[in-house]
Amino acid sequence: MDTTEETNNKTDMDLTTLDLKGLQEEYLKLKELSSVKSDIVSIAAHQIRTSLSAMKWIIKMFLDGDVGKMTPEQENLMRKAYEGNDRAIGIVSELLLVNKTEAILDKQYTFAKVDLAELINSVLFDFTGEAYAKGVEIIFLKPERIHNAKADKDKIRVVLQNLIENSIKYSDMHGKVFITLKELDDMMQVSVKDTGVGISDEGRSKIFQKFYRDPEAEKKEVVGSGIGLFTSKKIIAEHGGQIWFESGPGEGTTFFFTLPINK
Amino acid sequence: MAKTILVVEDDNFLSGLEGKKLKEKGYEVLIAGNSDEAFKAIADAKGAVDLVLLDLMLPGVDGFEILKNIRKDEVIGKVPVIVFSNLYEEKDVKEANHLGISNFMVKSNFTLDELIEKIKMLIG
Repeated sequence: MDTTEETNNKTDMDLTTLDLKGLQEEYLKLKELSSVKSDIVSIAAHQIRTSLSAMKWIIKMFLDGDVGKMTPEQENLMRKAYEGNDRAIGIVSELLLVNKTEAILDKQYTFAKVDLAELINSVLFDFTGEAYAKGVEIIFLKPERIHNAKADKDKIRVVLQNLIENSIKYSDMHGKVFITLKELDDMMQVSVKDTGVGISDEGRSKIFQKFYRDPEAEKKEVVGSGIGLFTSKKIIAEHGGQIWFESGPGEGTTFFFTLPINK
Repeated sequence: MAKTILVVEDDNFLSGLEGKKLKEKGYEVLIAGNSDEAFKAIADAKGAVDLVLLDLMLPGVDGFEILKNIRKDEVIGKVPVIVFSNLYEEKDVKEANHLGISNFMVKSNFTLDELIEKIKMLIG
């Protein structure tokens, strides 16, 4: 190796070290910025939700005749305002969920022993309000004794939140949601079945695409971002599991996913 | 005798609506916008509070701290508490449950009539 070559190699190495250091600094800055953004979104969303709660209660008072009788036209307009306000509440909830999902996905995967039954029960508790509001009955079936899964708990929570939230959102009033947990060979399998609108023929090949929203879901005028199933597929793939669905017209939809058993 | 409900809520507009509805349903209502006002109201009522409706995001001392102090209080330590908030993270629900609440309700998911149904189930 001559002197010129040695000098060139040294310069390349220095540059690489410098580049890496610079990239690392940029990464940390972006991470901090992302965390600040996440906090701002969260605070703003909670404040907006408070104002929307007040709107909801006031409009309901009008609709219930608490502040005097309305003409049929006024009542019709108030009902539309109530529905619009509920949609806005849905949008804010979706924004909070996306914000929280982003923060969780930014973290590295940590695989550990996870009691899936306990996790499912905890997520179901989070959706008590939504299920109650729609009169949706949720039935969770599981064997008495079952192995733990090997998974990243926070990320599987996101998958369960997405699937359970969808099952409630797309169910008709007083619908039913069945959740099952079982072991199949060396995998754990979770299924979430709803009695909702089902997935259209068009949606069958696209449902896991980012920002895709099925026309059947659009018809229900339910708020959604189109990232829940995309994110879920990504998370399950990172675990070495699979996610799929079965759906027929008027039969609702069943989503399945598998995770490795913790041995 | 009418049951007394302490509403701890920093948004005057919301506490006004809650108070109006509760009074219409025959409850006595005490309203507090922060921790100091809440404990003053409890002292003024000589502990005769049948239920606390508690927001979590409050200026200064937050709802969790108020809840902890209620639980430590000899007179009203066992009073039923409904958390009525727009915070709904798993950690918030867990912490509130750990402190022995009766219900955790998200404001935007419930109407005031549904809130009153829950209150009736708890204290009549």
